[in-house]
Amino acid sequence: MKSGARAGRLRAVPFLLPLFSFLLFSLAQPASTTPPPDFSAEVFEIARDLRCPVCQGESAGESNAGVAVEMRRIIAEQLAQGKSREEIQAFFVQRYGDWILSQPPARGVNLLVWLSPLLGFAALGFALWRYQAAVKARSRRSAADVSDEEIRAMESKL
Amino acid sequence: MSDKPVVQLDNEPKRTWLAYLPWLLLVVALGGVFVWGLRREDPNKLESALVGKPAPAFSLPVLQPYQARYGQEFGVRGGEGKPIILNIWASWCIPCRTEAPLLEQYAQRYGDKVLFLGINVQDQQPAALGFIEEFNLRSFPSVFDGRGRIGIDYGYYGVPETFVIDASGKVLLRHAGAVSEADLQGFLRQVGL
Repeated sequence: MKSGARAGRLRAVPFLLPLFSFLLFSLAQPASTTPPPDFSAEVFEIARDLRCPVCQGESAGESNAGVAVEMRRIIAEQLAQGKSREEIQAFFVQRYGDWILSQPPARGVNLLVWLSPLLGFAALGFALWRYQAAVKARSRRSAADVSDEEIRAMESKL
Repeated sequence: MSDKPVVQLDNEPKRTWLAYLPWLLLVVALGGVFVWGLRREDPNKLESALVGKPAPAFSLPVLQPYQARYGQEFGVRGGEGKPIILNIWASWCIPCRTEAPLLEQYAQRYGDKVLFLGINVQDQQPAALGFIEEFNLRSFPSVFDGRGRIGIDYGYYGVPETFVIDASGKVLLRHAGAVSEADLQGFLRQVGL
């Protein structure tokens, strides 16, 4: 009995071994959020909030495009000069406009975009409220509100 | 079944078409936004944040073929006294190949009234020199900005990109992508030629 169980376990080894090796391979991959060792994590944190100018939908923290690498280098240099995150962002906004920020400030036309979910919810709430009111009004109708014609029509069906 | 017409149970007042007007307006408004979005000249077009501001000054190493005439370092420093057409390019950039002969041709013709200046960015010097050789770019100098740092100062987001700077050193416009002959003529008109 005991040896049979061990044999079963041994038979599983050929299947488990590749699984284990795959697991080891997956562990060998660096986590995608780990910054390369050349710049501090703070550099990447600031770069992640800036768009990569030559990419579509990628931040300067993720991209390996030449411009993005240079942007990270600029961020690292400015951090070393003791500049704050806001000052570094302002540096890029001065050159690229608000476009460079992955979260543009809520003003002007941008404000409309920021508020659109609220406006949507407000419209939805209004529509629901009107609908509820209509349903309630209908349920509150008394017999007196039903016309003779309607009663006759219902009776003919019964 | 009765042959009488079905009687409406709902004795709410009948809705007139006016009740649907807000919805109609909403659909028309959304349609308008949609059409506007489709008809925009270029959805990727971005106004440069520098338009109307002084062009960032820089001084960069001159590429070897132009050193005899322009010295070791050259750039935009203000006080050139004439308009500048600043072209950011790279040897690996395909659209740059279509505009290079045009730039050379216009620099030959207007070089005395306008300073044509190339900035070679994100590139290797040998490749850049090969490009200059291939298109026989003799009439305007290019400076070397291997990492593209000056490009970032100008807020570039790709190559090629061309900036038009007036005689007082103010940025008039930025053109993204290869320039056509019509573009160049437009630039020259803008700087009063």
